[in-house]
Amino acid sequence: MHEWALAEAVISTVDKIYRENNKKSIHSVNISIGEIQSIEMDIFREGLKIILDEYPFGPEVFQFKTEKASFKCNCCGKEWLLEDHAECGEEEREAIHFLPEAAHVYMRCPYCDSPDFKLLKGRGVSIESVELDPGND
Amino acid sequence: MIDPRLVAVKKKLSLIKRILVFSSAKGGVGKSICAAVSALSLSQAGFRTGLLDMDFQGASAHIFLGTELCFPEESRGIKPFRIKERLDFMSFAPFSREHPVPLRGNDVTQAMIELLAITVWDELDFLVVDMPPGIGDEVLDILRFMNRAEFIVITTPSGVVIRVVERLLEMLRNLEVPVVGIIENMKTNESPYRTNSCGERNLSNSYMAKRFQMKLLGSIPFIPDMDELVGRPDALLCSILGLTIKKIMSAITRQRGNSCKSFLGGVNG
Ligand SMILES: Nc1ncnc2c1ncn2[C@@H]1O[C@H](COP(=O)(O)OP(=O)(O)O)[C@@H](O)[C@H]1O
Ligand SMILES: [Mg+2]
Ligand SMILES: [Zn+2]
Repeated sequence: MHEWALAEAVISTVDKIYRENNKKSIHSVNISIGEIQSIEMDIFREGLKIILDEYPFGPEVFQFKTEKASFKCNCCGKEWLLEDHAECGEEEREAIHFLPEAAHVYMRCPYCDSPDFKLLKGRGVSIESVELDPGND
Repeated sequence: MIDPRLVAVKKKLSLIKRILVFSSAKGGVGKSICAAVSALSLSQAGFRTGLLDMDFQGASAHIFLGTELCFPEESRGIKPFRIKERLDFMSFAPFSREHPVPLRGNDVTQAMIELLAITVWDELDFLVVDMPPGIGDEVLDILRFMNRAEFIVITTPSGVVIRVVERLLEMLRNLEVPVVGIIENMKTNESPYRTNSCGERNLSNSYMAKRFQMKLLGSIPFIPDMDELVGRPDALLCSILGLTIKKIMSAITRQRGNSCKSFLGGVNG
């Protein structure tokens, strides 16, 4: 599953931060999941859990929140949400799932029909913060 | 906000022995065909090779290879397309199919990071990268993420092409980017236009190579019936283009990627 590659990326990044901070134990990792990539959360969590077997922190430290996708048209300047756009077909959604920039191939501004828009929020997986346990050097 | 893909990109790229970037300041000079045939040739010579089409808007490596576009298989990421034994391929084209891809600079960068982060290459001896024309986002991102990248610059005998390619060579030289050398494609008679960017009446690829102290790796003649070879990897390999590239690649595989100077604090160590 391609969700696994993203889970792996998150874990490698957290592990890097863990090492850079003298292996202080990790209290929480806040992850934002962008709406546009339509990540299968079950698969993502499953991947996280299995990959984490080899790491000194467990799945319980990971907190998830989904971020709604919002767009701004570079042409007419209007802002819009995913639900303002006519639903894409299955193939198109699949392409955007793999590569969110495919949105520019298959989506248009609902106001002026331009493909020239900016994805303001809700693109993919990002780590909002990593909190380390204090006083445990 | 931390982008978790960056660590993944670095990790994945560190498993690749050498990265060859086919670039030119001009379009239509043969970057894609030379990149595709070089990848074919390297894999045929026994090297595990990946071909990455970084020209999202003008993706064409799959056309030269005759690859059908479908979604990639998933397994801990996406699997590149197996073209031949030891040759795997990835591109934006499976996701955009034959539709136009209107991307601004930041979208190009994002798409590139995503593809590099989720594509699961086998352990590779060579990653061959087919670049779009120019020195825009893609080149700057390659330099940022792949500071071991070695450039191969494609040019033609056209005086206009040479004068534009000189600017790319100047940038690469100033940034101390490793350049394997220059390939002259579509060789015909010498261009009657002779004034180079220094105002000297000496405009040829061999003179340009000398002036920049770079190797002229080889010259490929203009092939009038080229389109008959498009989409036929074996025919491409047997053509004069394929044979010339084979020689160039065999010289490259014998030489070690020596200097790997980094700049711009690239993420890939
Ligand atoms: N040596 C050659 N002789 C004749 N046609 C060529 C030769 N090299 C490339 N071409 C043709 O020129 C066009 C541009 O080549 P391509 O590899 O797509 O260039 P680029 O990637 O630099 O834009 C294609 O139609 C290709 O078949
Ligand atoms: Mg090309
Ligand atoms: Zn608009």
